[in-house]
Amino acid sequence: MKTIEVPALARVEGEGGLYIGIQDGKAVEIRLDIYEPPRFFEGFLVDRYLQEVPDITARICGICPVAYQMSSILALESALGIQVDGQGYALRRLLYCGEYIESHALHIYLLQAPDLLGAPSALDLAAVAPDVVKNALRMKKVGNDLLKAIGGRSVHPVNACVGGWYRWPDAAPLQALLPELEWALEAARETARWSLTLPYPELEIDYEFVAIHHPQEYGLMHGEVWSSRGSKLPVQEYETRYIEEHVKHSNALHSHTKEGGHYIVGPLARLNLNHEQLMPEARKALKAARIKLPITNPYKSLIARAIELVHFYEEAIALIKAYRPAGPAHATLELKPGEGCGMSEAPRGLLYHRYKIDGNGRVQFAKITPPTAQNLPRIEEDLAALAPQLVKMEQEQATLTAEHLVRSYDPCISCATHFLKLKIENKD
Amino acid sequence: MIRMNILVLGIGQSLRGDDAAGLEAVRRWQTLHPATAARVRVEVTELPGLGLLDLLKGMDAAVLVDAVRSEQPAGTLLVLGQDDLAAFTPGSGSAHGWGAAETLALGRRLNPSLADLRLTLIGIAGTDFSMGAELRPEVRAALDKAAEAIERKVNTLL
Repeated sequence: MKTIEVPALARVEGEGGLYIGIQDGKAVEIRLDIYEPPRFFEGFLVDRYLQEVPDITARICGICPVAYQMSSILALESALGIQVDGQGYALRRLLYCGEYIESHALHIYLLQAPDLLGAPSALDLAAVAPDVVKNALRMKKVGNDLLKAIGGRSVHPVNACVGGWYRWPDAAPLQALLPELEWALEAARETARWSLTLPYPELEIDYEFVAIHHPQEYGLMHGEVWSSRGSKLPVQEYETRYIEEHVKHSNALHSHTKEGGHYIVGPLARLNLNHEQLMPEARKALKAARIKLPITNPYKSLIARAIELVHFYEEAIALIKAYRPAGPAHATLELKPGEGCGMSEAPRGLLYHRYKIDGNGRVQFAKITPPTAQNLPRIEEDLAALAPQLVKMEQEQATLTAEHLVRSYDPCISCATHFLKLKIENKD
Repeated sequence: MIRMNILVLGIGQSLRGDDAAGLEAVRRWQTLHPATAARVRVEVTELPGLGLLDLLKGMDAAVLVDAVRSEQPAGTLLVLGQDDLAAFTPGSGSAHGWGAAETLALGRRLNPSLADLRLTLIGIAGTDFSMGAELRPEVRAALDKAAEAIERKVNTLL
């Protein structure tokens, strides 16, 4: 029996391990062991006043605080019967642009590219291709600058609230970012072209893709939950089809559909389901790539991220140019007991929140379903599909190929709990 | 006399127990020594990650104050210089939370002039980094000592 074991996977967030046992060319055992303790955020939120929730949930993750803020805000607004639209909603999308920019630039260049370019780490990549890494950091920085201009901080922004914004951000610091965003848009176009030239491992999977879909905009916050298998559900019915369960080997919950299937959320799902809603330059980049959709190779999620980078720089530029704050920045809240759910697309996939609140606006119940919990069982199935290739490889290459697969999902085990280590065992 | 650009940076997550020690120590120092604090740039940040390199841009010297996991008892102060930090082997390179040592190593690769930065890390040993917990009493008791260590270090740089 051949075993592959990675006791601590690098370039993923959190701590965990991976064990693969292979016999007769088939994976007989695969475990993504998540052994960091659960983060207990849901319990931590109980009895908190609702306006504390967005700033607490933002701290679940340092890389996608906006997603946690936005999903919680949308859920709590739903409980109160509020919907923010107009400039307040546009500003939320702009904040989200900042998050996608910094997260995708980091993942493409510093987390996944080293795998494809044969560098053991981003540090090694910086030694052989310093200009690539410098450009990546510059592309990332404009995302953080955007977060700071809107949310007051480049990590864990604090301006978003239930009902809108604590205050309208000044227009001048946002407009000052336009030249850098224009530079980054061109850098992203180049990134998209470069992404097509990389040597992706062969692996095609018949995925069920799940993402938020909106007919008029690239799905982020508003819209329905679409599946490539044909299901179209309003947010309120998400839990009727997508179910979380405990599994023995993991502190993270694993999700499946009510039919028992595993599904994928994240950039591949979004691009495959929502490519018609991309901004014009991103659509052009996708067309120029001559890629047949849907993309079904998980390693090629890097291409989807690269196309999305073009989209989000482009959308950020358009939103800043159209920024016209007027009137109150937030609605006056009328507290009442209620229950509401909300979801948004974190850079690594769909993020669902549900809360019950009492008449004083205090949380009585909280449920958070992060994207990585939804992707974990899918990653295990992908590894099983990869097993026949792994068994033919030298141990080191097999380990790197399996690790690379996990990294291509950009798993955030800190959010799902925390994350990862790999063991592949050949049982022959 | 040429004035140095000095950064005092408190690092840590305010909702992760002892991890907040760096933030709290810098705030304590600002309260105890406002005149010194007014002469340098002071920042606190929860998870600077690669943004640390931007914070260090243009600085001649930096004093980073952060909680550290250590074999030492909680509340023990560790004062490390540039050479000590350079000796740190970068860890797993966690995707999202690039540690100070990894980030500085990357920065030196990309920008060799970073090696000229006079860097000090004042580490406060913690043991409980769980969610929402307060600072452990031993860590809280060490904040005054950490504030005085910051003051001494900054005075040697001014």
